[in-house]
Amino acid sequence: MNRAGLRRFLPGAITLLILAADAFISVRNHADLDRLLINGILALSAFATLHARMLSLANAGFMAIGAYASAILSVKAGLPVTLSFPAALAICGIVAVLIGLPVLRLTDVYLAICTLGFGEVVRILIVLLPGLTGGPTGANLSTGFPYEAMRRVDTGMIAVFLAMLVYLFWTMAPSKTGRAFRAIRERPQAASTMGIDIVAYRSLAFVMSALIAGAAGAFYAHSVGSLDNGDFRFTRAVDILGYAVLGGSGQWFGPLLGAGLLTALPILLRDSLGASIGFLRSFAQLPNILTGLGLVLVIVFLPGGLAHVFRAQVTARRPHALPPGRTGEGHAVPGPGVARPAPGTSALLSVKGLGRVFGGVEALSGVSLEFDEGGVYGLIGPNGAGKTTFINLVSGLSAPDSGTITWRGREIQGHRAHEIARAGIARTFQGVRLFDEMSVLENVVVGHHSRVHTNLASTWLRLPRETREEKAAMNEAAVLLARLGLSDLAGRPAGALSYGDQRRVEIARALALDPRLLLLDEPAAGMNDAETASLGSFLLELKRRGYTLIVVEHHMDLIMGVCDRIDVLNFGRLIAQGTPAEIAGNEQVLEAYLGREEG
Amino acid sequence: MIPLLEVRDLSVAYGGIEAVRGLSFSVPEGSIVSLIGANGAGKTSTLLAVSGLVRPRAGRILFDGQDITGRRADRIVRAGIAHVPEGRAILEPLSVAENLDLGGWILPDRRSLRRAMDRVFDLFPRLAERRRQMAGSLSGGEQQMLAIGRALMVSPRLLLLDEPSMGLAPLLVARIFHVIENIHRSGTTVLLVEQNARQALRISQRAVVLSHGLLLRDGESRSLLSDPVIVEAFLGKA
Repeated sequence: MNRAGLRRFLPGAITLLILAADAFISVRNHADLDRLLINGILALSAFATLHARMLSLANAGFMAIGAYASAILSVKAGLPVTLSFPAALAICGIVAVLIGLPVLRLTDVYLAICTLGFGEVVRILIVLLPGLTGGPTGANLSTGFPYEAMRRVDTGMIAVFLAMLVYLFWTMAPSKTGRAFRAIRERPQAASTMGIDIVAYRSLAFVMSALIAGAAGAFYAHSVGSLDNGDFRFTRAVDILGYAVLGGSGQWFGPLLGAGLLTALPILLRDSLGASIGFLRSFAQLPNILTGLGLVLVIVFLPGGLAHVFRAQVTARRPHALPPGRTGEGHAVPGPGVARPAPGTSALLSVKGLGRVFGGVEALSGVSLEFDEGGVYGLIGPNGAGKTTFINLVSGLSAPDSGTITWRGREIQGHRAHEIARAGIARTFQGVRLFDEMSVLENVVVGHHSRVHTNLASTWLRLPRETREEKAAMNEAAVLLARLGLSDLAGRPAGALSYGDQRRVEIARALALDPRLLLLDEPAAGMNDAETASLGSFLLELKRRGYTLIVVEHHMDLIMGVCDRIDVLNFGRLIAQGTPAEIAGNEQVLEAYLGREEG
Repeated sequence: MIPLLEVRDLSVAYGGIEAVRGLSFSVPEGSIVSLIGANGAGKTSTLLAVSGLVRPRAGRILFDGQDITGRRADRIVRAGIAHVPEGRAILEPLSVAENLDLGGWILPDRRSLRRAMDRVFDLFPRLAERRRQMAGSLSGGEQQMLAIGRALMVSPRLLLLDEPSMGLAPLLVARIFHVIENIHRSGTTVLLVEQNARQALRISQRAVVLSHGLLLRDGESRSLLSDPVIVEAFLGKA
């Protein structure tokens, strides 16, 4: 294994070592070890939703479903665990899909409340079905639920399952899927303009989380040997969230560390305090109090969680340093990978009567414009004239109230952002929306999202295709960065770059989509005159390569120097259109925008 | 005479990345000093260190002869330094008046708050018209005025301005530079970070030029305007 490989392996190894040490120190009996492992599994189920920016508290509910399903199949149908376990997972999966369909439309606190409610519904159903579940008292001979008949699982089996999960999350992190999740977690809107289908990925995360929680539940049932609905109260959901808070939810091993500590610590304290200081035994809650104190200390002093300590190393392990000696020279920017249409065909993009109202104010009203393939178009106007609104409508981040947007002969108004991105329209943001915690190179590779043909199966099975496609995307991204003069910064976290450099990374990321049309919202803001001039020559190179550009900008030198046509907006309406020379002499434009005296 | 602000051997680093490396310069009282340089040269990091928002790795920052290195940001405001951050950082859901209120957090009573606000409204009549309006609904130029007005609430002796012209239409850029000259004329010392280097050099007396975190030039703005190295690197063709 080479050094880079070793470094990749390190966090995982450390985590496992810590877990092993935890287990070794604290385990007096198998029940404690089982609990440690099961809580580790639960921690990963929390991570699965958190890293897709979903605060789901449904884990306790799915844990209950998994536990009762496997227990009932084992006791009543007499199935061996090897059958009842997968059957329980299947039930969890089905329920997750049914619940996910409506619930995943919600975000943030609404999702949390709704999933918390789901957990309680599951628990109440358990109470209301005593014949099946043993009802409120759990193990109760009169209900005919003899837990004694339940098959037991081995601690080893739980450990193997957890190890498998660790492998799945570990290999997923640097893959296409892992990147998509991290992109969604940081900036969902920007992720969707990279062609990432947010709803699909959130659904995937929710189902993954449900399956993992269900597995934890099944193991719990077969390890404890009896069930009580009280085991799955919302406090359980809060405990699971606590693992992620303590450990940090930025990396998969964070919640795992949190679970390890929060489980092992009370056990350790119980064993040591309970045995040595007799009178303390009356304070049954002391271990919990001390654990809670530890949690508070971590939140105060390590707000990113324990895993935050590893973050520096983790960022360092992802630099994918460029091959030495690679500079911008000699590396052409790849052009749009599509055949040019014959000249004289209809416009590449045309908008008709486009309108958008925000709270009674017409941000854009009745704007009609045509853009031909291969042209560079400037969109200028005072602040608040509707330029960014125009870009948001074309890129699908908001839907127009009136009018049509026709892209290569097809109407696309109201389509979702990731569909428009895949159709060949890429954009940058006025307020820079990079994925700050990812490296610069990774940001650009996210742009390759819909062109990398790997999936979780190829990631987990380490198929040759996986390595090949990843390497190709990395290399292409490196070339783009080199061309924009960003090679030296490739390994830095994007958030650490200066404003102007971040803008260039955004352009590289947009180009990685292999678009035909590039919408640039103030690409030169935060750049000095010399940097703006070199951006200008880069835009002209893009034009030569066949890209079509729409540029919103206040640097008039740039606009005048690169544009074939300039459209001027004021108060949401088109007030002028023409060549740079025509616009420079237009009375209305001078009045509204440029000003008369020359600095 | 001691300068109002003196920066000695300042180094700022984020993790292992050094943004500013041993920078020294001073800002005389009553002047406008521009801080210019390419992207990533360390301009913003320097301002952040002066206003206490990042802790310098090494070096000293003296304000009016007093060492303020590593002091808490709120204490530095009380000492008389106000910072207008890059990208404005106004509080969008709050009204214009509420934003200004917060700018005057350290003022002792309602009356001085009112007086400070009136002063800001005199300077920016546009903000007075929109005092009840949500700050996020202002145009870009008005937001920049609000950010500057918020900093002026405490009548600072030193105003740190980080790219005030960014993202503004050409008409407004000219107006912002007029505003800066007016503020300076009324007696406030200004340390100005600008990408619009030509304009910045025109209105400032001295300029400090940074490159990769190091001092490249420190001199009179007028002479830098014709310095071939500066013209080549930052000003482009005339």
